[in-house]
Amino acid sequence: MIIALPTKTSGEKAFISENLGRANYFYIYDTDKVDGKSFINNFQNEAHGAGVKTAEFLMKYSTDILITPRIGEKALEILLETDIKIYKATEKIARENINDFLNDKLEELY
Amino acid sequence: MQIAILSGKGGAGKTLLAVNLVNLIDEANLIDCDVEEPNGIFYFPIDYKKTDVNILVPKIDDKKCTHCNKCVDFCRYNALIDFLGKVKLLPSLCHSCGGCKLVCEFDAITEREEPIGVIYQGDYKNHKIFGGELNIGKESGIEIISQLIDKADKKTVNIIDCPPGNGCSVMESIEEADYCILVSEPTVFGLENLKLVYELTTIYNKKIGLIINKANSYNNVIEDFAKSNAIKILGYIPFDKELSKLNSNQKIVSDNKRFKPYFNKIIEQIRQEVDL
Amino acid sequence: MKKILVLSGKGGTGKTTIASSFIKLAKSKNFADCDVEAPNLHLVYKQGTYNSKPYYGLKIAKINQEKCLNCGICQDNCRFNAIDFNGLEYKINPYKCEGCGVCGFVCPQGAIDYIDSVSGSIDLYQDNYLFSTGSLKMGSGNSGLLVTEVKKQLDKNYEEITVIDGPPGIGCPVIASMSGVDFVLLVTEPSFSGFSDLKRIIETVEKFKLDFGVCINKYDINIEVSNKIKSYLKANNYSFLGDISYSEKVNEIINNRKLVVDSNTIVGKEIKDIYINTMKLLNW
Repeated sequence: MIIALPTKTSGEKAFISENLGRANYFYIYDTDKVDGKSFINNFQNEAHGAGVKTAEFLMKYSTDILITPRIGEKALEILLETDIKIYKATEKIARENINDFLNDKLEELY
Repeated sequence: MQIAILSGKGGAGKTLLAVNLVNLIDEANLIDCDVEEPNGIFYFPIDYKKTDVNILVPKIDDKKCTHCNKCVDFCRYNALIDFLGKVKLLPSLCHSCGGCKLVCEFDAITEREEPIGVIYQGDYKNHKIFGGELNIGKESGIEIISQLIDKADKKTVNIIDCPPGNGCSVMESIEEADYCILVSEPTVFGLENLKLVYELTTIYNKKIGLIINKANSYNNVIEDFAKSNAIKILGYIPFDKELSKLNSNQKIVSDNKRFKPYFNKIIEQIRQEVDL
Repeated sequence: MKKILVLSGKGGTGKTTIASSFIKLAKSKNFADCDVEAPNLHLVYKQGTYNSKPYYGLKIAKINQEKCLNCGICQDNCRFNAIDFNGLEYKINPYKCEGCGVCGFVCPQGAIDYIDSVSGSIDLYQDNYLFSTGSLKMGSGNSGLLVTEVKKQLDKNYEEITVIDGPPGIGCPVIASMSGVDFVLLVTEPSFSGFSDLKRIIETVEKFKLDFGVCINKYDINIEVSNKIKSYLKANNYSFLGDISYSEKVNEIINNRKLVVDSNTIVGKEIKDIYINTMKLLNW
């Protein structure tokens, strides 16, 4: 299972970003490999459609679970058509959010 | 004769002025270009004919599409994305530039019409009333404004109620205007917003005049600015609780004996500047 | 930290007057003006050191006249009428160009480049507080990006109340201003248009599952509509935070660049009550 989170800095200890489309990084975690990696968000400074490009990015990396504090209308519209499930992130770091999700402690956002 | 009414911010009294000028000038028409928050037309409770406004957006033929993603990469507005093996359009981000169709080497892209809003059109006494409304979630109402302006007969007096601010939709609204009337409240906030639209009218070399709405003992905040920039003050609409109330109920205040003279005075002043 | 965003839907309802008072009441040392099309908060809070950096929007076209052969293909393909021919050469109208890239693609000479264009500025005032603001240049399309940039300048580790004066409308800048906020204070006025715009902004705020409360400015201008708004709020279980009366004094205070809450007026007291009600809702 692939879990994705928007983060402020890189690495699993990074804090969650308030924004999805304009996050600095995405942390992608693979539960099978028990390993994760940060990706810089190349679209954070797009004048239009940053959220849309994020949705595209998440699909490209076969994301199953997205953990985010919020999601824009357009990105949501796209992701609702996919099998990606969206959970509400808390103010903790990426690693703790992943653990909370795996322990069923996060609520589904949509 | 095209007269545009502008203000830097909403709530300054643009619509109040526009509606009452139309009401008092024989055969004048209203063109309400504030398509994001249309209010002007609702002062005239008449039956409106509605027409859809469409823009062109790409239509992708999945059979012809080879998924080369050239269109996705070309689109500066990120309106096309690679979606699970197909090219997907997000119509709300599309600016109708036609670029995707041009870059497609496989003729997989044609264009279709996408509704973005409507135009309202109706008759009130001997006035024609035009207005438009942008659908919620759509980004730009420029196409609606451009169609609205084309609809009105240019030989008659048209009062154009512009959107607030100084963005591209205001530019579209004033492009063909012969005269611009700026409306401001006498506060430092009002002045700051007035400066924004004043700059716009100077770039377009428009002839302008100024109205102070909710006039009070602080008019000099605006008067000083007008004086130092040689802007003619066309008149004042004093603050009055009854006027505010009538206007907030979407009543035409110049039908009231007490308020009619304010607007007649303003019209006299406008007549000194342009032929109505 | 709690972030409070002030929104109104309709412009000119008194957002800035209330936001500036909230900053004072909360003794906030961290606040922003996200109304980048018509920023006003700097008229009240503008002190200390000032830093400004350019904000770049979409790149726009520029024709290299040395390479251009005046074929006019660019003009034929431009859907924004942004290319003019002055009898001598083709020129891009920077106010109309939307940077779509079509002219550069069709130009057989490769004579069109896309250059950075300054669409506005991102400004920061630092005194014993941090005040982030920005402004969009005339004719620039509205964009959530500048709003996001303005918010990025705020101190993320600030532990007290952060106040953000938001943009009017319900579009992209408003949505950008809502990210990461804890509470939205909606300011409306009792008119037909104020009421219908209030419903539109509530619909937008609810989509993002944010807590919000409503106050009515100049409620006594039209008490019937004010009551209608209140019954609408009640029927939907939305929080009503208070009324603010109309007072000519407010203009006087604003014109002297003072804060309404610092004055000994009814309006000052009413805003204080709204502030107290807001803090109760926030459990602060």
